[in-house]
Amino acid sequence: MAGGSKGRVLVAMSGGVDSSVTAGLLVDQGYDVVGATMKLFCHGDEVPDRPCCSLDSINDARRVCDTLGVPHYVLNMESAFGRDVVDDFVREYARGRTPIPCVRCNTFTKFRDLVHKADAIGAGWVATGHYARMIGGALHRGVDAAKDQSYFLWGIDRGVLSRLLLPIGELTKAETRARARAMGLRVVADKVESQDICFVPDGDHARVIAARLGGDAPALAPGNFVRADGTVVGRHDGFARYTVGQRRGLPGGFREPMFVTEIRAASREVVIGPRAELLGRGVIARELRWLVDAPRVGEHVELQVRHRASPARAEIVRIEGDEIELALDEPVAAIAPGQSLVLYRGDLVLGGGVIEGARRALPVLAA
Amino acid sequence: MPQTASDFIYLDHAATTPVRQEVLDAMLPFLGNRFGNPSSMHRWGRDARVALDEARERVAGALGARVDEICFTSGGTEADNLAILGAWHRRRAERPAVVTSPIEHKAVLATAHQVAREGGEERIACVTPDGVVDVADAERLIDEKVAVVSIMWVNNEIGTVQDVPRIGAAARARGALMHTDAVQAFGKVALDLSTLPVDLLSISGHKIGAPKGIGAMFVRRGVQIEPLFHGGAQDRGRRPGTENVAYAFAQATAAELAVRDREKEQARLRALRDELENAILAAVPDAIVHGLKAPRVGHITSVSVPGIDAESLLMALDLEGIGASAGSACQSGSVSPSHVLAAMGVRPEIATAAVRMSLGSLSSEEAIRHVAERFPALVRRARDFSGLAAESAALAQV
Repeated sequence: MAGGSKGRVLVAMSGGVDSSVTAGLLVDQGYDVVGATMKLFCHGDEVPDRPCCSLDSINDARRVCDTLGVPHYVLNMESAFGRDVVDDFVREYARGRTPIPCVRCNTFTKFRDLVHKADAIGAGWVATGHYARMIGGALHRGVDAAKDQSYFLWGIDRGVLSRLLLPIGELTKAETRARARAMGLRVVADKVESQDICFVPDGDHARVIAARLGGDAPALAPGNFVRADGTVVGRHDGFARYTVGQRRGLPGGFREPMFVTEIRAASREVVIGPRAELLGRGVIARELRWLVDAPRVGEHVELQVRHRASPARAEIVRIEGDEIELALDEPVAAIAPGQSLVLYRGDLVLGGGVIEGARRALPVLAA
Repeated sequence: MPQTASDFIYLDHAATTPVRQEVLDAMLPFLGNRFGNPSSMHRWGRDARVALDEARERVAGALGARVDEICFTSGGTEADNLAILGAWHRRRAERPAVVTSPIEHKAVLATAHQVAREGGEERIACVTPDGVVDVADAERLIDEKVAVVSIMWVNNEIGTVQDVPRIGAAARARGALMHTDAVQAFGKVALDLSTLPVDLLSISGHKIGAPKGIGAMFVRRGVQIEPLFHGGAQDRGRRPGTENVAYAFAQATAAELAVRDREKEQARLRALRDELENAILAAVPDAIVHGLKAPRVGHITSVSVPGIDAESLLMALDLEGIGASAGSACQSGSVSPSHVLAAMGVRPEIATAAVRMSLGSLSSEEAIRHVAERFPALVRRARDFSGLAAESAALAQV
């Protein structure tokens, strides 16, 4: 338990390769590393008196810390995660939107609640295994463009940035795995990466919604597929199973490929249309948060409306309170309410918000 | 892991204790050339059988029981299961109910739930805000439908002592059997089964300096229970399976030492515990000691510091080499909300702040003084840090 000279860092460890290498790199860099695995949810609700789950990943994280010679703790953050992340996830789907729970987990669970734990143990630093970089106190994209996770980090408190360490943002995924092997972390080096939302392990988000809202929730009840003009073209089995931009599971018999273009929760309608109807010329987002000094209306920025999308150029046309509107230089497809809008300047993350909707026509600069 | 014990302060004796040297010395021959099976007829078997009988006698002696009333188990959990389920299975036709309390160890609570799952009825007595089972309420629940009453002697999270003699008398008066989980009481409070109205009692080895994996159950002569396991005739059929002679011997040795040292050690630990509590309360005036006004054993304290969750404080303590615990841990090693404090009506945010420190053989005066100084210092640091964090968060929201 030799304390590192660079101060104490609380590392969020999932038991995966990225956060394990994060901890290892920080040990090598001379930090006093403390590992913590957050227990966020439980699949074992049906087993009373046995509230434990995701034990394997917790055990892997513990073994990694043991190999690295640093302490490891398991933090029970189930109730706050349930409130801040899972409840919101369900609420958003019930409104016909497509939430990103990872964004709220970063905003509330990792970079607020976990930071409070860091405070309590006198850790000036917090670290995660995100593929993003801190440069001069500002958040940047990770070096590995294919892995870049900066899109999920726009919501964190700006005040936390100065305490944040993201060492694997400098690496590619392949390099991370190589580092894991070099560090002797065989437990995690070749782990298969999960693409699922952690609390929806089989990808069946409707089951999570049903568990919280009941199987007869309106979001899971049958409704109509309609065209934009209201023409009924089929029946669906619950709008929460659909996302703007989705092609799978739509009625056939059209000349062009059809996409979900809108979800009308109030009437339980899923609107479908050809690609042209999926394009937006403007985007509106709320819950706006800046990680740098706020840009001004009229400024040009780059933006992303979903993870792994290529950045699009846009002009800020309006900022009012926590709401922003941008005009896109080129139309962007599948702007889905509930997803994140993240603004960039090159690799620098400026900030972001939660997409409220798209504008089919080009918005006009107010001033 | 600790390299030298003196650098680290172990304050979790209610979780487990190191094996005492005398105990280790006493058990080692049975892991060596005295390896026989007590059921064998040859010299090796005879030797093991004599040793096992001696162990049983010595445990009986330590409890004020008769030799045939002692049954060795794998530990406290098995003893609790065997006592409650064993008694209930035997009597359920006429007496379908069990009575217990909400502050029991999970080994008892989950067993009572099992009774309910098997078609019985579980009745849960109230506890006072001080963490003591309400005797009048327990008495109210005990009637001719009750097979067995199970009330712990000493609560493992906060150290409160329950009025087992009175509840036992009430059980007896209504024809119910009285079981008590004495895992945290044995070696800590005076306990003589020759005079107590108790029919079944559980103890554990590793809380008193024996290894993990051994415990014992007292079954009063004449009380019939159904076994949980099925097999040979070992232990009068109550607990089939080849007996663990080495561990039974360890249990016997540890039990005798615990009884011998009890008064002196409890007085020593009580003085240190009180000193620790007073130091914390003086430095952190809003700290809450759970069960403070109730009769308590001398070696356990449960303290909540408002605004600092137990996880954070336990991490901070551990990083300074001080090992304490929250009330109950789950399998992952994370802290789960305490059912004991919840039953006492403690508000959730205070309950999730509760840190249990339990003193024992490794608790020197010097160690406790160090903790008395460091605990408040860590509280101050956590408060200052989180105060700053709250401030910056508030600014960010403006």
